[in-house]
Amino acid sequence: MSVLAVSFASFTHLEFWIGVGVLAAIYGIFSVGLQVNIGYTGIYNFGQVGFMAIGAYAMATLVVKARLSFWLALPLASGMAIVLGVALGLLGLRLRSHYFAIATISFAEITRYVIQDLKVTGGTAGMLGFETSWTRVATWMSARLHLAPKYYLAPLLIVSWIVFLCVVFGVRALLRTPWGRVLRGIREDEDAVRALGKNTLRFKVQSLALAAFLGSVAGYLLALDLNYLSPDAFTSDTTFIAYAMLVVAGLGSFVGILFGAVFIEVLLEGTRFINLPLADERVAALRFIIVGLVLILGMAFRPQGLLGKRDEMVLRD
Amino acid sequence: MTSVPLLEVRAVVKQFGGLRAVDRATFEVGEGSVTALIGPNGAGKTTLFHIVAGFLRADSGQVVYEGRSILGKPAHAVAAMRMVRTFQLTKTLEAMTVLDNMMLAGPNQPGEHLRNVLLRPLAARRRERALRARALEVLETFDLAAKASDYAGTLSGGQRKLLELGRALMVEPRLLLLDEPMAGINPTLGARLMDHIQRLRNEQGMTFLFVEHDMEVVMNHSDRVVVMAEGRVIASGEPHAVRRDPAVIDAYLGMQRDRAADG
Repeated sequence: MSVLAVSFASFTHLEFWIGVGVLAAIYGIFSVGLQVNIGYTGIYNFGQVGFMAIGAYAMATLVVKARLSFWLALPLASGMAIVLGVALGLLGLRLRSHYFAIATISFAEITRYVIQDLKVTGGTAGMLGFETSWTRVATWMSARLHLAPKYYLAPLLIVSWIVFLCVVFGVRALLRTPWGRVLRGIREDEDAVRALGKNTLRFKVQSLALAAFLGSVAGYLLALDLNYLSPDAFTSDTTFIAYAMLVVAGLGSFVGILFGAVFIEVLLEGTRFINLPLADERVAALRFIIVGLVLILGMAFRPQGLLGKRDEMVLRD
Repeated sequence: MTSVPLLEVRAVVKQFGGLRAVDRATFEVGEGSVTALIGPNGAGKTTLFHIVAGFLRADSGQVVYEGRSILGKPAHAVAAMRMVRTFQLTKTLEAMTVLDNMMLAGPNQPGEHLRNVLLRPLAARRRERALRARALEVLETFDLAAKASDYAGTLSGGQRKLLELGRALMVEPRLLLLDEPMAGINPTLGARLMDHIQRLRNEQGMTFLFVEHDMEVVMNHSDRVVVMAEGRVIASGEPHAVRRDPAVIDAYLGMQRDRAADG
């Protein structure tokens, strides 16, 4: 039985779980943006990681290269992601849904390659030294909470979960307004909504811009978590893992994302500790197989996800 | 019955590859009239509807509404001018409630603008109350009030037609374009639908243009008939005059002759 032994040692290490919690919040915020697009507006955004990369890199570049204040760099980075979201929307959202999906993947890949090839973003070598302002805050928080040094990620855990909760409930409230009702109408049938006098392109672009904003927030939180930025952190797998979180959460459910994000992150990170007589990269691949298996089982036995509405799913054929 | 035209279609042409779907179609819809647009399958009625409502661009010609050219205006802008269309295949927003379907259609809701959602939430809420009251009132007249909180996807085919008409009324239209309002519903409900249309015209002076391909259906329900065949308008006038028009008889009988030949 030693072949399939699981080393539980790491499971009891709180600092490990703090790290998992930070990632769950970051990818949860990221997924909320996707939920707005796919679950509420019916637009297929497969390029969310591009906005995350822009948020992270714009912040880091402004701080390190332009010597701007970190706190000023945050809104500027988000502003840049929003501008690019609007541009992508205006250019791409006239395409039919599946072609738009392809356009968004291209956008994310182009973004990554541009970052990799630009000098100002550090190219493949990446970027360092953008987090000093945050470190001061984190140190102050750690001191106030009397945290042991090994729990250095705890302040980020607290901040990212506060942001995550605000995002989940804030966006949920936003989508219960008449604005959100138009988005849902577009998801059901865009032509019907156009025929009722709504400029559907405007709403779709706004939906994408909101996702871009949330992607950028997830981006700079990820930058603070990693302390080091490299283009490899922004490959399209990230977007697909976030989709897995949505499948667990249920399409259209924001509160479900709280659970979906934690569940997928725990699954991804927890599977690291299965000891197999395999090379490391094979174990890494195995983690994705396990996540895939869980998704297939979920789709088969609970297709609406944890908190999705089965009625709405069935009615939408 | 001559009145001021609310809508004028002038020499509209639409070509799809080698097929001329609409070929210099010209007709008028008088203010306050119930005008039927009829013709055999493939006559170009629905294509013309798409063009008038801004869903398709014409190759040439003019569409004048309220005295202004609207050709090339996007669909939502046309609807905002209170010319509202329905669809041949009913487009209910299925995973939304009947009430949400109705309220979505309400115009001038400041809460549909993101900045107002944040800055003027009270104005949005006030408008929301008014829209809800209006929606329930319309649903009441269509016997759908009991279904207000059900998903629209649970309605029967006939109820969906009524919902679509009710939803269009929420936009407070001056001109309603109905694409085959009676397709796929039973004759009793069809008659009721036409009664609603008559009532709205008589009580509120609303103008209607509706597509139908069965000549018999339109005879009792319209005051003007426009007949299309092969993309062209071949006749227009009062129903009983049109019915005796040789060109119309030929278009319809020609179809029957072709059918007989096929059989």
